[in-house]
Amino acid sequence: MQEVRNWQKLTIFGKAFHRFGLFLMKRTVGQQVALFFRAYASLFNRSRSFKADTKNIIAQAFFTGVEIFPILFIVATLFGAVVIMEVLTMMGKMGFDDVMGSLMVVVVIRELGPILTAFLIAGRSGSSLTTYIGSMVINSEVDALATMGVSPIRYLVMPGLIGGTISTFVMTILFSAIAIGCGFLATQAFSFLIGDFIHAKLTWSYLSSEILDAMSLTDFVLIIVKPLVFGSIITTNACYQALNIPHDIRQVPKATSRSVIKSFLYIVIADVFMSIFYFLDYMNELSKII
Amino acid sequence: MQNATALRIEDLHLSYKDLIGERFSKPKTLSFFEKQMHSPEKELLSGANLTLNSGETLCIGGPSGTGKTALLRVIAGLNRPLSGKFYYFGEYIPPERHTALEIAKRQVGLVFQNGALISNLRIKDNIALPLHYHKRGTPKEIEDKVNMAMDLMRVRAHANMFPHQLSVGMQKRVAIARSWAMDPKLLLMDEPTAGLDNYNRRNLLPLIDNMRILFRTSIIIITHDLLMAKELGCNICFLYKGQITEPRTFDYWLNSDTEIAKVLFRDLHRNA
Repeated sequence: MQEVRNWQKLTIFGKAFHRFGLFLMKRTVGQQVALFFRAYASLFNRSRSFKADTKNIIAQAFFTGVEIFPILFIVATLFGAVVIMEVLTMMGKMGFDDVMGSLMVVVVIRELGPILTAFLIAGRSGSSLTTYIGSMVINSEVDALATMGVSPIRYLVMPGLIGGTISTFVMTILFSAIAIGCGFLATQAFSFLIGDFIHAKLTWSYLSSEILDAMSLTDFVLIIVKPLVFGSIITTNACYQALNIPHDIRQVPKATSRSVIKSFLYIVIADVFMSIFYFLDYMNELSKII
Repeated sequence: MQNATALRIEDLHLSYKDLIGERFSKPKTLSFFEKQMHSPEKELLSGANLTLNSGETLCIGGPSGTGKTALLRVIAGLNRPLSGKFYYFGEYIPPERHTALEIAKRQVGLVFQNGALISNLRIKDNIALPLHYHKRGTPKEIEDKVNMAMDLMRVRAHANMFPHQLSVGMQKRVAIARSWAMDPKLLLMDEPTAGLDNYNRRNLLPLIDNMRILFRTSIIIITHDLLMAKELGCNICFLYKGQITEPRTFDYWLNSDTEIAKVLFRDLHRNA
């Protein structure tokens, strides 16, 4: 007894489209993208309540962002100091006096700032989100939520996704600001301690005006877009890996490590795709000059 | 509406592979297109039928490992069976919509064997969570309802504690209170009396009876405690060899000559 399903009545193009959809849905990435959209769609379902949602999201953003701040502050300061010192010493050797600002923008603001922040958040908050939801899956608390009609996607994934994305955004901006500001101060302190060989050239007005001159419109756009993309990747991946655990306690550590490693991988892949925008920008400018 | 059926299951086939359960990470439409293989030797239940009238209590017994809990999870929508037709309150639920969230909309509640309380919420918040989520009334009404549920199960003194501070029996009482607060029309209970002392067990049984009489709740109880069926005055059916037997009274099974009755009622005979 084979009943005819609706999709079997489709035309050949319809069937091809259907197969393509199924092909995407059976892949991990397709399911993660679906989970991302389902989490945002659940914001608007019948049980929405502004007060409770805001409370959950702020709690999650606090957990993701504020508690990671001390370690982020130290990493950003030291990283900024290292970059400024390396750039200064390299400039002296190579004779590029006017690329100070461009190098700072490329290294700190464009690339390593967002990526390092995303790695820190994936390592700390992404893994803890996976363990938290994974333990709930093991204790069948997620099943209990579902049988009460409480959607796990709405109750667990949505606050994590939105709160995590917001705090990744804030933390990336803070990271870049701290790396430049506190990195400058740390460089001054080092040069004061060691001797006066780089002190003469570097002042705050010189550094800040160089950096502001080197920033383009694309930089400003991608400063906003990059952290949002990275934050969504980290939290969606963390929640997906957690909800994908079968009822087996040994899968929780495996899912946690998968969550962190795959977040790193996806972040770097997304970064490559976004760097293409810079490349296009560069090519446009090049054609203008020619 | 007096004799309306609360639940009807026709020709249920459940394999061991289905016991993995619903993954919330995957889109629910995906499982609709998955190919499923029939292999009768790997089936836990093959061709089981069950009918439950509205306002009726039914105990389901049977030896361990015959799929009692799996059957309950299938009814609650957590597991998708290989095949079978499900009617909840007369409404046919097609297999692609057989999910826990869809069935919970029809006011079906499930009490888990271990309680399954949300471990980072206090007891009163645990009970209030689904009420707040579904916006069942104003905050004052919800608080009253939560207090009433806690009074009924006598956990009011521990309202501000976390689940890990309570014993297993008390967690189970909180879980029953949480299900009761949702006003279910069909309540599924997995071993409600296991882990309860005699005093609390005796207090639980009238409560179950009251729910049936006052709220006309249909109840399915999975239990090894067969005397409970006698005290509740309800029918028992057994899962045996992949089938669900006819629901009969306690006394019928006690004097019955069938194989399953001989296995399960041997000790009760000696006591009686």
